[in-house]
Amino acid sequence: MSDALQFLMSGLVVGSIYGLIGVGFTCIYNVTGIVNFAQGDFAMVGAMSAIALNVAGVPLWLAILLAIVITSVVAVLIERTAIQPVRGDVMRGIIVTIGVGVVLQGLAAIIWGTDAQPMPAFSGEKLIHLLGATVMPQSLWVIGIGILAMGGLDLLFRRTYLGQMFRACAMNPFAARLVGMKVETMSLVGFVMSGALGAIAGIVVAPIALTQYDSGLQLGIKGFVACIVGGFGGPVGAALGGLVLGVLEAFSAGYVSSGYKNAIAFALLLGFLLFRPGGLLGDYDRVRA
Amino acid sequence: MMRWRILALAAAALLACAATGNGYIISLLVVIGLQALPAMGLALIAGFTGQISLGHAAFYGLGAYGAALIGRWLGVPAWVDIALSTAMVALLAWAIGWLVFRLKGHYLAMATLAFGIIVQICFTEMHGVTGGQDGLTGIPPLSLFGLTFRSDAAMLAVVWLVAIAAILAAQNLVASPTGLAMRAIAENEVTARSVGNDVQSIKRLIMMVSGAFCALGGGLYAHYIGYLSPGPFDVGFSIKLLLMVAIGGFADVWGVLLGVIFITLIGELLKPLGAYDIVAYGTLLVVSVIYCPNGLLRGMAALVARARRTAIAGSTR
Repeated sequence: MSDALQFLMSGLVVGSIYGLIGVGFTCIYNVTGIVNFAQGDFAMVGAMSAIALNVAGVPLWLAILLAIVITSVVAVLIERTAIQPVRGDVMRGIIVTIGVGVVLQGLAAIIWGTDAQPMPAFSGEKLIHLLGATVMPQSLWVIGIGILAMGGLDLLFRRTYLGQMFRACAMNPFAARLVGMKVETMSLVGFVMSGALGAIAGIVVAPIALTQYDSGLQLGIKGFVACIVGGFGGPVGAALGGLVLGVLEAFSAGYVSSGYKNAIAFALLLGFLLFRPGGLLGDYDRVRA
Repeated sequence: MMRWRILALAAAALLACAATGNGYIISLLVVIGLQALPAMGLALIAGFTGQISLGHAAFYGLGAYGAALIGRWLGVPAWVDIALSTAMVALLAWAIGWLVFRLKGHYLAMATLAFGIIVQICFTEMHGVTGGQDGLTGIPPLSLFGLTFRSDAAMLAVVWLVAIAAILAAQNLVASPTGLAMRAIAENEVTARSVGNDVQSIKRLIMMVSGAFCALGGGLYAHYIGYLSPGPFDVGFSIKLLLMVAIGGFADVWGVLLGVIFITLIGELLKPLGAYDIVAYGTLLVVSVIYCPNGLLRGMAALVARARRTAIAGSTR
């Protein structure tokens, strides 16, 4: 039983990260119609720049804030130079964002080297015992920040003027333009948000898992799986999908084999794509061939 | 006429390279020929039919492992095991098509990516069959009519004969009525269906042909290298194939061959740059996909034509 609880805890932690990455995908997809395959690399850039700043003597909290800003700026640069020209073209969008991810990885390897780098935990390493499971304090940070970010985004989308404009552009960019919204600006806002979210995801998980120049790809793919499982659309779906994926992975690593854990995650993805492509919360019609 | 001229040109270039007797150049040419097969397969489905796939490395890998294992288990000659494994992968590709072509766009990309990752994990984890990370060793070289193709030069001839045959086959397919239907699907699926094309079965058929091309390349690769490990069949290779198709201009048979040559040579040329090679590679990819939507070659040609026009305009003024 305590095994199961332990797996559940680690699943929830990993799942929160996948959810955070996943919601970054939706921020971009909803406005530009492009799935950003470099999303995971935003997490890597965020974590690596926070670590580098911290090592250079900047206090941790300031390093984290600066890293989030840096990543958002990187996201804006990418949007302006690479995404604008291919907006709406699925195949070229995929190839361009993969290329952007490759460039980010290469630059990270040049700037920060290819070694995996650790980051100090936010509040010490003292283990917490909870109902027979052992939990690192950082895990609670991950879950807490995950909940805060998702809840905040959900409120932003549903309750604020900016969120309404955002949703309008996602539903029907043409109509949004007709009533005077600047879809291009919204696309920029989407990239800023997704860069910031990616950076946050990368930074909160950095003390648990080492970060290196190529950690982004795996994270990105898993985040996208979370999106699909949850139903492409809102923060709640992405969070739910991330948790389902994370818990399933932890249990299959624990009870089946850690080698096959990714295969099981992707089998889940295939299952969802084929039998319930709208995800847990979404609708089916927009993905059907 | 055009086709024979290109063919003669390609053959002459190959012979010229082979005649140099430089081992490095010859092995590079064999690699290009081997990768041309899966790239052409991917071009048929992604370029001409407009259905993206991020899992084609899996078909290549299944062809390679399939050929090696069938040869080992049944004790049949190399060409028989390549043929058998190609047939099996073609069937599998058809079945995969039946599953994944319910989806489109990003969802299709993700489904094929998932397929590719699952297959690669199986290569790594099924130690009893594939040897896991240690790989399969001792795959015999290709032999035909009592001749054994041990040297690179001999493989060069075999691989390129197969590759050129495949390219010509692809060209014929594209020029056939099915080929027109493929392009119609790529342009607009609803329209294609409305004029009476059975869109889904055409997609499945092309997926099957595409899988067969990949498996053929994989089988030849297995018997050329003589050793298989899961590494070369990862998502990275699927992406590389897509780059070759993109650089080649998506729906352009000979362009794709140039894409294969270009990506392979760029990989070799950028090696001395050290860590910067991957940055240059990615930048090139992004720039060429954004600014040369019809492939690098046509993009360059358009640029040259534009430069000439401005030059002429300048001189007559």
